[in-house]
Amino acid sequence: MQCVAVPAIFPGWPGERGDINKKIRITLNGQERILEVVPYRLLLDLLRDEMGMTGTKEGCGTGDCGACTVLLHGKPVNSCLVFSGELDGADIVTIEGLKIGPELHPVQDAFRQDGGAQCGYCTPGMLMMTTALLRENEQPTEEEIRFALSGNLCRCTGYAKIIQAVQRAAEMMREKKITEAKG
Amino acid sequence: MEKLSFVGKSITRVDAEEKVTGSAIYGYDLVLPDMLYGKVLFSTRPHAIIKRIDTEKARRLPGVHAVVTGKDAPWTHGETIKDMPFLAQGKVRFVGEPVAAVAAVDEDTAQAAVALIEVEYEDCPAYFSPEEACNPGAVLIHEDYDSYRKSDIIVPGPLPNILEHFKLRTGNVEAGFRESDLVLEQRYVVPAIGHAALEPHSAHAQVDPESGKVTVWVANDAPFRVLHETAEALGLPKEKIRFINPYQGGGFGSKGAMKVETIAIALAYQTNGRPVRVKFNRAETFVSTITRHEAIVYIKSGVKRDGTLVARQVRIYWGAGAYAEKSPTVCIKGSHPSPGPYRIPHVQVDGYAVYTNKPLAGAFRGYGVPQTAWACEQHMDELAQRLGMDALDFRLKNVFVDGDLSYWGERLQSVGLKETLLKATEAIGWGKKTGQSNPPKGIRIGKGFACIAKPTRTPTTSTAAVKIDSRGDVMILAGTVEIGQGCTTILSQIAAEELQVPIDKVRMHSLDTDLIPFDASTTSSRSTYHMGNAVKRAAVKARDQITEMAASLFDTSKENLELSNGKVRVKDRREPALSFGEVICQKLGSDGVVAGDGAYTFEMGKDVDPQTGHSEHASAFYMYATQAAEVAVDEETGRVRLIRMVAAHDVGKAINPLNCVAQIEGGLAMGIGAALHEELVIDDHGRVKNPSFLDYHLVTSLDLPKMETIIVECPDPNGPYGAKGLGEPGLAPTPAAIGNAVANALGTRIYELPLSPERVYWAIQTSKKNPSPSVSAEPVVSNPTSFR
Repeated sequence: MQCVAVPAIFPGWPGERGDINKKIRITLNGQERILEVVPYRLLLDLLRDEMGMTGTKEGCGTGDCGACTVLLHGKPVNSCLVFSGELDGADIVTIEGLKIGPELHPVQDAFRQDGGAQCGYCTPGMLMMTTALLRENEQPTEEEIRFALSGNLCRCTGYAKIIQAVQRAAEMMREKKITEAKG
Repeated sequence: MEKLSFVGKSITRVDAEEKVTGSAIYGYDLVLPDMLYGKVLFSTRPHAIIKRIDTEKARRLPGVHAVVTGKDAPWTHGETIKDMPFLAQGKVRFVGEPVAAVAAVDEDTAQAAVALIEVEYEDCPAYFSPEEACNPGAVLIHEDYDSYRKSDIIVPGPLPNILEHFKLRTGNVEAGFRESDLVLEQRYVVPAIGHAALEPHSAHAQVDPESGKVTVWVANDAPFRVLHETAEALGLPKEKIRFINPYQGGGFGSKGAMKVETIAIALAYQTNGRPVRVKFNRAETFVSTITRHEAIVYIKSGVKRDGTLVARQVRIYWGAGAYAEKSPTVCIKGSHPSPGPYRIPHVQVDGYAVYTNKPLAGAFRGYGVPQTAWACEQHMDELAQRLGMDALDFRLKNVFVDGDLSYWGERLQSVGLKETLLKATEAIGWGKKTGQSNPPKGIRIGKGFACIAKPTRTPTTSTAAVKIDSRGDVMILAGTVEIGQGCTTILSQIAAEELQVPIDKVRMHSLDTDLIPFDASTTSSRSTYHMGNAVKRAAVKARDQITEMAASLFDTSKENLELSNGKVRVKDRREPALSFGEVICQKLGSDGVVAGDGAYTFEMGKDVDPQTGHSEHASAFYMYATQAAEVAVDEETGRVRLIRMVAAHDVGKAINPLNCVAQIEGGLAMGIGAALHEELVIDDHGRVKNPSFLDYHLVTSLDLPKMETIIVECPDPNGPYGAKGLGEPGLAPTPAAIGNAVANALGTRIYELPLSPERVYWAIQTSKKNPSPSVSAEPVVSNPTSFR
């Protein structure tokens, strides 16, 4: 019996496709960058493969696990579902841009202290999603946290320590705000 | 007991900062200079002879550097049975088996080349159930099984396709059944599930064209074992092979032995020294690495009217999938404790690991115990019900306690099981009304619990070194892999404790088999115990050198010295303390280093006898746990909602209580997934139907109930500070606890996992039509019946 293996997923290969690069201007972690990108390349691959920023993780590549969550114009997105060609003028924040100077962001510090990271592979995505949540909701209930993180899968923790860490981060950020207001 | 400064404290994970900043480098993140990208052609047939492979078109594609098939990689590997080729040789045995691979300048080119490879197959009969595969007359999946190289522990089976037969024989079960007042037999089914670690599998390999040295970068949980396997397969001396371990994004058993490694190595032999990266995507990770064993468990028990267990016979069919991988040891280690943690005079166990034409099954957190606990612990509840006894009283009457002689011939010590039973059942309010005494109409509430004992692989060895430099910084060299379980923190705490140095002065070296001393594996919950002991011994040796040097500097004897905060001083003397760095500088100079080494093997340990299943010391320690569940079942939909879960675990000594809780919670979540919705669905052509996180329901943050963890500390005499292991048991009793709670709620029992709404719904409908005998409150005393 004759059988041709797996059908071609790609119409050809780079040389044949005649890729046209597109020039885009983005703000990445607060820095303006001008990049030449292949428009159909994913933001996730742009970050990891082209820019060497591997803090953003790939867990599925199909928008199901949330490990690759970044902030695009302040909103959380799965970077595996965003094309590079759509990014002109985009403001992107990744895990590498979360620290405030040399200090950990409260969200990072809370996850560190409360055991929110075990293997740590879902952690960058969790942290970006948490950052987005706490920007919109300074005092989320446990239910709101669970709902916000329901698209970010974790196989290690059972989420309990993650929820705790988000609650602590919210607390830390509120306290910080109060101190700053006083100061 | 002496006061402890670091051990027993919930010290913040030392690897956490790297992980929350995104700077931790995982296997999937790794980039090597000048590397090529590999892609794989997978089999589309469950069982077929490869008549022809044509790679010509693929080879001619610009940008392709190498195309390999089984012919170019004439090697086989396997932990205990060398049955698995690096790439299919002449035959494929499951859908998803690697048949050929390409290395090219980028992934798109490699994928395009893969699509140009033509394969012609001739189909053979395929088996998708372990029971069918070992029917007399079944076609052999491995015709050459007899001639494969095998380790001594392998006992071939009496029927086709059985690759390992585990036997345990104690007393005489037939006589036991005759003496019993009640004999009950049931069949339980557990499907295959996926490990679903968030990081997919990948490997990078390079072969040095000059020296022939093979270097592999891979997040493998047993780099020394896989090094040994690679050396054996390639026929190279061990020094010609090096494994370098980046961070592992979760494994749960899937990232041991050789998976993507074989393909990366096969390609690297053809690329003139250029390294090759092979990454599996999520679907490939689900299908073409490994799964947890599906298991069919027959369990038959004889009991006295007063609840005394007399005899138990267990027969298990472990679905091994297409190649042996770790099935023989899962069969041995999973079948051995399958009769449960109970005193039983007559026991017979037959575990069969059976080849099928499904994806490989291998190590999975719990190593077989979760599957057999699903059977045994529901069976215990059903026995209690038929005897008219309380399920807790029935277990307390039979459960292992200190000093018991187990059915495998071991005198047990440090058994914290009873305490876990009492504490977990108390916390769930066993025997008391549920919190929701008036549930809404159509909602049925129930409680249940289950307990387990889990052995660890024995005997095994861990070795370590601890060095202190002239700045007083401590470096641990240990081959335990940080798989997320927190070993770096635990081992740092142990070194800090013995040396009395601040925890931030202690670091653990990254893992490279060329540099780090031997460790058996980061598996089987063995690291805290074995490597903990090795690091402790190494730290003591390093400390002795410091105190010896300090004694001469202070002109006193070692006994008069005391250590604290990285410094040494003379007790009751006013003289200022010297830091370790100062001691080293003064005695050895500013380049001086002090190093201690340590090794640990549980010397008495002896693997179980393959013919009888007996051993006087089958396991260095046992992990005991009880978990309890309260559930609400919706009669209309069959949906099981968890109200709460309680987990009581005997950890010996909690080196880091927060980390213990984290391990238990994570285990519970995994157990809950396996109980309620996880299943790899395989169709009748052998194809996995749900290899994605969209279709494979991993537990999300919305799926989990309130989880209460209880740490029981029944110290082990040989464990570091009394510690046992904890990595695996968190998920082992969970499905059975939930299953018992569901049976308690419904009055009918479900024997097959997962407890999906559909399955529960039909169980409710069936029980309405013909109430099952198990709901009878009267003890049913039956005559012994034949075993299937």
